[in-house]
Amino acid sequence: MTINWQTYENEGLWDELITPRGRARNGAGKLCRTLARLSDSELAARKTAAELAIRSMGITFTVYTGEGSGTIDREWPFDIVPRLILKREWDRISSGLIQRVTALNRFINDVYHEQKVFSDDVLPREYIERSKEFREECLGVEPPHKVWSHVCGSDLVRDKDGRMYVLEDNLRVPSGVSYMLENREVMKRVFPELFEEIVIHPVDDYPAQLAACLRSLTPIKSPQIVVLTPGIYNSAYFEHAYLANAMAAQLVEGSDLAVGNDDKVYMRTIDGLVQVDVIYRRIDDLFLDPEVFNAGSVLGVPGLMRAWRAGNVALANAPGCGVADDKVIYTYVPDLIRYYMNEEPILPNVPSYRCVEKDQRDYVLDNLDKLVVKPANESGGYGMLIGPKATRAERAKFARQIRANPRNYMAQPMLTLSTAPAIIGDHAEPRHLDLRPFILSGAKSYVTTGGLTRVAMRKGSIVVNSSQGGGSKDTWVVDLDA
Amino acid sequence: MNRTLSSTATRSYWLGRYLERAESTARLVMVNGRLLYDLPRRLPLGWQPLVDITGGAELFAQLYTESSEKNVTRFLINDLHNPASLFSALNWTRENVRTLRGIIPRQSIEYVNELYLFAREFLSEPLSRTRRVQGLSKILEFVQRIDGFMSANMLHDAHWTFLRLGNFIERADMTSRIIESGCDNMFEAVSELEPFSDIQWRSVLLSLDATQSYNTVVQSPISKEAVLEFLICNESLPRSLAYSLNSLRKGLQDLPRHEKILRSINRLRRTINHADVGSLEGESLREFLDDFQLQLAQINQAIADVYFEFKPRRRATRN
Repeated sequence: MTINWQTYENEGLWDELITPRGRARNGAGKLCRTLARLSDSELAARKTAAELAIRSMGITFTVYTGEGSGTIDREWPFDIVPRLILKREWDRISSGLIQRVTALNRFINDVYHEQKVFSDDVLPREYIERSKEFREECLGVEPPHKVWSHVCGSDLVRDKDGRMYVLEDNLRVPSGVSYMLENREVMKRVFPELFEEIVIHPVDDYPAQLAACLRSLTPIKSPQIVVLTPGIYNSAYFEHAYLANAMAAQLVEGSDLAVGNDDKVYMRTIDGLVQVDVIYRRIDDLFLDPEVFNAGSVLGVPGLMRAWRAGNVALANAPGCGVADDKVIYTYVPDLIRYYMNEEPILPNVPSYRCVEKDQRDYVLDNLDKLVVKPANESGGYGMLIGPKATRAERAKFARQIRANPRNYMAQPMLTLSTAPAIIGDHAEPRHLDLRPFILSGAKSYVTTGGLTRVAMRKGSIVVNSSQGGGSKDTWVVDLDA
Repeated sequence: MNRTLSSTATRSYWLGRYLERAESTARLVMVNGRLLYDLPRRLPLGWQPLVDITGGAELFAQLYTESSEKNVTRFLINDLHNPASLFSALNWTRENVRTLRGIIPRQSIEYVNELYLFAREFLSEPLSRTRRVQGLSKILEFVQRIDGFMSANMLHDAHWTFLRLGNFIERADMTSRIIESGCDNMFEAVSELEPFSDIQWRSVLLSLDATQSYNTVVQSPISKEAVLEFLICNESLPRSLAYSLNSLRKGLQDLPRHEKILRSINRLRRTINHADVGSLEGESLREFLDDFQLQLAQINQAIADVYFEFKPRRRATRN
């Protein structure tokens, strides 16, 4: 017996599978018993099976190695113990996410049209005017269904009190969904017996749902849909290729597309030019169209913005949607839900302080050793200060940056992210994790069943990003009533 | 419905060309070495003809002063300045394979990487004759494994067709150049002497790995007439001009919008049928082959025009 839940060291933590007294949480009994029954060699064999599956399925992610050598492909780091969520809880989270993303889409549409949110004093206008992600070029554009962010990845965390919070909403080009799908395939190979015994909701309808969402962005009956990737050197190229393949859409790079005199987008094929109706773009706004944004971009398509503005092509996500993907705007999301939906938020935000407001800034500056400070427009965990773990010098540097540019920062108390057991060597240890579900918005809304669970594989670490040593595990939404 | 992008079609085509080029260059250098060692020492035979065959004489003259064995083999094998060198071809093979992920089988990408790494390692040290021959045969084996693997495992769709078109354009070009080397007078001094009288045509057959096939099909001693007939017109020999053209035609028939290119291929095919190739020699043979290469280049260009490089009309540039 190698895993003994009685000696599992989760004191002071909220563990997703094991209570502080070493018992399986509701719904996790079968899983925990199965794991505890495995001998050393059986456990090792399951781990190897997962590694083999990942290698043979070619699940990789790309790491930038810095100067010279460019990039390398690494196999996806995966832990074989799944994370469980009860269906009841998931249903509530799922409606909370739809509520949230609906409000955010209405907000974006408002920003680029009437801007009532400012005239009604819900949000100060200067926040938007100074936002790096606000795009003048989008003013007045009417995307189908008034939806701007068609694919959103929201990060959820559970604090040690067991409460689930929304940590951030990635509204621009969130990635990770292919790993969610592949993780499930790996688990079916590694623990087939558990899938017979436990009612685990499937996740594999995502590509079909994404395709339906993209199709709903054009009136054309059988539209030509493409996935626009920056190319093989991008860290998420695996995912771009995976999704294109799963949706039977065409995977293209900017140089495969061109905009004609007629402001329509065409794809260069051996059959000649073929009109493109919907572009699921996986490149950032500023690289989309060198005629409008970054003139030096070779990733984009000259004229794309003019085709989009003319309504000849749908872009998912729409340019300019990042205006709501801003850590300072995030602090207003509960207000935006009340304003646009006239509802109380179902999911809470992590309590946050806006450095631009003087009393809140003073609090942040006085308590830097207790807070996590985030810049407004970074992703992937970059540019953050984790106060309790930072040196005095790092905190002083951040204090200067906050004073110089308060609009660019917000701060949150340091949460103790919940944990789940991970196999470390020949036994289980708690590791911190988060959860990224994906929310689709088009003619209809859809939320993935669960999402991508990311794990900080280093002991005590809360950095879950794969670019910084994070791993992942399968996420099971389990139905006790079925 | 999924289309074949011009960009991936282009890369498949060039992958086919570079793989074929790597193979033929490796064989050329290997065979020539073997041949030279058969000849009497006193003969002023050199390596320059190899440079001429690959069409690199001008570049070679810029880079080297003397066409010694060392310089010529370096130029043909290692030199990245020479776009026709073996290592250049492998380098471009690898580059094309990398950008065709998802289209060609993953395993063949690994094989190509292995081949590239082997070649880089092998070329990092000076090449003795023995090492050279060993390394080149290993490279030949690698290329053939990649070829075979893709043939057996890759989806035989439009990308495959483009890859094969690249193979056969490159092959037809190389075969015609190797035949052309037979017209050179370099062997004149020897050809008077027994047992070297047929050496130039023997060398041509060897360079194309066609000696055994020749013996099977022709069943008569090696002669210029018979070799030319065989290498140009035989429809069963995979490296003959006729076979390459037939394969191009077959491939193109699977592709859309092929009419104009097919007409050019048929025209070239007729030229071959109607020429009394056995009787060509010296200048007339050279002229015939030059014309063949020219028409082949036009077919290459036509393929690029139709499938790879068209653009929509652009709005006038903004001021």
